Amino acid sequence: MTFLVRFWGTRGSIPTPGRATYRYGGNTSCVEIRVGDSLFICDGGTGLRELGVDLLRRSNCPIHAHMLFSHMHWDHIQGFPFFAPIYRPQNTFHIYGTYPGDARFHSLLSGQMSSAYFPVDFSDLNAHVVPTDLGDHGRRDIDGVVVRCFEQRHPGLSYAYSLEADGRKVVYATDNEVDLTIADPQLPLRDPNAPRIVPAPFVEFCRGADLLIADGQYTDAEYVMYTGWGHARATTIVDLAVQAGVRQLAVYHHDPMQTDRDVELKIDACRARALRFGSPLFVFAAREGIELKVD
Amino acid sequence: MAHPDEIDNALGQLTAETEIPVVPVQSISRPFMLQQIRGPGAPDVRNLEGDALIVGRADDADIRIASTALSRRHMRIERYQGGYRAVDLDSANGVYLNEVRVHSAVLRDGDTLQLGNAVFIFHEGK
Repeated sequence: MTFLVRFWGTRGSIPTPGRATYRYGGNTSCVEIRVGDSLFICDGGTGLRELGVDLLRRSNCPIHAHMLFSHMHWDHIQGFPFFAPIYRPQNTFHIYGTYPGDARFHSLLSGQMSSAYFPVDFSDLNAHVVPTDLGDHGRRDIDGVVVRCFEQRHPGLSYAYSLEADGRKVVYATDNEVDLTIADPQLPLRDPNAPRIVPAPFVEFCRGADLLIADGQYTDAEYVMYTGWGHARATTIVDLAVQAGVRQLAVYHHDPMQTDRDVELKIDACRARALRFGSPLFVFAAREGIELKVD
Repeated sequence: MAHPDEIDNALGQLTAETEIPVVPVQSISRPFMLQQIRGPGAPDVRNLEGDALIVGRADDADIRIASTALSRRHMRIERYQGGYRAVDLDSANGVYLNEVRVHSAVLRDGDTLQLGNAVFIFHEGK
């Protein structure tokens, strides 16, 4: 089965429309992953609104989608009330929890549509928006795609997801301060070029991914100012990708203060680091409106 | 010290309020363009018109590139949300947007598209 991965929102924290973010985009987290006929949606930031418009344009057929949320911070859910397909009765959306009976994400999504925040109540949605979960050990086969989750380091927790089918693997891992989990978190300050050893369980979770979409919000200089805010140095996720033997790394969740030029400089630093390690890893900036084929 | 009314009168003499006709300005339009900078046929510039066009080595391609590095129908450029996007038509050698191999991509001003040995720059119209 072929994976088609499309970025609908790549910005972190808050939408940033305008000329300075024109190339990489200003919408917040949302990635569409199609595997064969199955549709997976990772996060529902403001990019989700445009995905909804596009889905309705593509076809009149009922939409059946699996929604995987990293967590419920605003920039990952704000597009949901504006996602037009949830107002059509023929559509079904499965909202996944991470353990048996876990309906947290479904419940929090409905909470953001209470009348104090939004004019349409969750109970008035016409589509079937149903809670479900990834089952025992956070692993479930969905339409022939093995989906796994992994708990990450972020204020209030967040989850990464891996999707595997027919020997292909895509990992979505945003809002994860990998830097606080590495063997020696002070090492990058003493020796920025030294390899940063990422804990084995997360490396194994990402092992052999054809595409890793990972939180690389900060440059090295920015990270010093925002340590503990729940996001990674872009250069550290290069180390993760190299250690996990990843083929392509999409640096994701760009900081809202970063202009297009800043994002490009951040990617240059990541590529230079991968080159220093002698790795064939290909690093690029996640950009709104691009679609990749993983086959 | 001058009275405020005297100051106002003096300023009023400097710039008298006048009926100024606003001059209508005709907006300057420029077409969307694909500029070929490398490969057979370069340099060349094509205006993008219509809903879609095909780039490839086929005789009937809208932009024909005489190179075996390109598939017969390699890429479609199509209108999308007021601009254009590029779609790889399952070509053998792929479409690279600013070095990233893409299946499709919404195009932005200054983007580079590489198809085999042909390289294009996309220019946004207005």
